Amino acid sequence: MKNRLRVLRAERGWSQQDLAERLEVSRQSVNAIETGRYDPSLPLAFRIADLFELPIEQIFQNPFKED
Amino acid sequence: MHTEAAKRYVRRFSVVTTLYIALVAGNAALDRLIHPAPLTAGLMAVLTALPIAGMLMVLGLYLREETDEFVRDRIVTSMLIATGVLLSVASVIGMLQFAGLVGTVKVFMAFPLWCAVWGVAQMLLNWRDRRSDGIA
Repeated sequence: MKNRLRVLRAERGWSQQDLAERLEVSRQSVNAIETGRYDPSLPLAFRIADLFELPIEQIFQNPFKED
Repeated sequence: MHTEAAKRYVRRFSVVTTLYIALVAGNAALDRLIHPAPLTAGLMAVLTALPIAGMLMVLGLYLREETDEFVRDRIVTSMLIATGVLLSVASVIGMLQFAGLVGTVKVFMAFPLWCAVWGVAQMLLNWRDRRSDGIA
């Protein structure tokens, strides 16, 4: 699933490790989500949305909708 | 990638593995020294195999306690790969036995084979992730 995680992280000057610590997951998890190799569960997606103070759909692209 | 759950898993697995090795060694020594009756030998064999069930329980606990869902997903994926390989190998050997081309194969080898393939599968997934890290 495409997402803006890398951009949002870069805007805040956070490394993958910084984001991983804030989300209480491994850095590998952050990398896998950023590169679209792993789709987070709904609870983790909500945690990410809460952290960036954005609605989920502004972070993750709905794969069933055209751009 | 050493989460708290992973550390607990390593500790528990070390204990069960040590117990298993001790029981295998003890079983072999007793077998040589006292040549136990079939019933006793059977009980000793079952007792020696019990830590294997313990290892699987430790694995199950780890999956339940691991809070990092990506790590959990990767472990489950590698377990499925190991199970698939083991069942495929068992089926091929079974067919070869039907054809009379292969003799008796020790069933005892199933768990070590599963563990070995599981380890290789995890290494491959780790390698894939590291490679992706390099690209990212």
